[in-house]
Amino acid sequence: MKKILTLIIMLSFSFSLSAEIALPKGIIKITPRIAPPLSLENMDGEKFNLSIGKQRWSFVHFWASWCGPCRREMPTIQAVTQDMTKDNIDFVIVNTAESEDTVFSFLGAVAPDINSLLDRDGLVTEQWQPRGLPSTYLVDPNGKIQYVVIGGQDWEKPLYQNFLRQLSQFNANIKKK
Amino acid sequence: MTYLSHRIIFLLAINLAFAGLLHAAPKRHVIENNNVRMVIIPRTAQQMAAFYEGREFPKEAINATDEACFFTVGIHNKSRNILWLNTNNWDLNTSSDSLSLLSREYWTMRWKELNIPQRFQSTFRWTLLPSQLDFQEDEREGGNITLARTNAPFTLTARFNTGADKKGMPINIVFNNLSCAKDKKP
Repeated sequence: MKKILTLIIMLSFSFSLSAEIALPKGIIKITPRIAPPLSLENMDGEKFNLSIGKQRWSFVHFWASWCGPCRREMPTIQAVTQDMTKDNIDFVIVNTAESEDTVFSFLGAVAPDINSLLDRDGLVTEQWQPRGLPSTYLVDPNGKIQYVVIGGQDWEKPLYQNFLRQLSQFNANIKKK
Repeated sequence: MTYLSHRIIFLLAINLAFAGLLHAAPKRHVIENNNVRMVIIPRTAQQMAAFYEGREFPKEAINATDEACFFTVGIHNKSRNILWLNTNNWDLNTSSDSLSLLSREYWTMRWKELNIPQRFQSTFRWTLLPSQLDFQEDEREGGNITLARTNAPFTLTARFNTGADKKGMPINIVFNNLSCAKDKKP
């Protein structure tokens, strides 16, 4: 009975998600697929694992310092992470295949409050198969990629922040049920 | 600040990286119509070496890039349909021969022969134009294409299928008189 109830909640969640949230430009709803593994260390050497079942959305962002659009987008990601500390969404920032020195100097200049994970050999990024860099995925609380973000966006814009808040609100609704 | 132009990665990154080499800036080739804007910029060996040296690439890898001819390509899907990129559908012809792009598999083999560490292989792959991609409405992507060095000018015909089922009107973009960029001798 419990399983059936869970299934019904998940199905209604998926349906209402696509039906009710208006998509800002550049965000594409995809056929949900399980997110590849993501287990990396951050710049402080702390281990991170994108685990499912924690009832939070994840904003998973891949970047590199040589990518021009990343330079413009990163400060807006830093701003949104600071604005949304109370929302049920984790911001997971992944540098692709660059040295710690490069990451430190880049982030120090453009977004000093961001602590990026380091995909030192680039193999985790390969598994996620981004269309290019930068690339952002929105992963639901069940560990499924629901949205792909094409290109860099200005996450400080209310349109994008409202979208992310709506996602985390859906999450809150699940919790209540 | 508006963010309408985001995805032509190398047009900006490489231009920044090569700021000191502007005296040798090669010609940009641009074709634009209602459906697509495509930009091709030939890159000299020095430009490519500067970019990859800046990313701490080993000397063996830099030498390998010297052997190839690089072009930075930017593609913007201006249409409301999906635009299908598949570089296998591109033709490169001189007046007497047909040329081939160096594939991602070629570079993977080359890096393995040279024992280039994985992280540099990964960065190099991200600097290449995807070989296949379904460009969404207003999507912009970019990256390098490579071929064996040639002195002969050539024509590049880029064919794109269109529409969700790839059955829309195909789009052909033809760049005439392309040639590998050469560094000026000191």
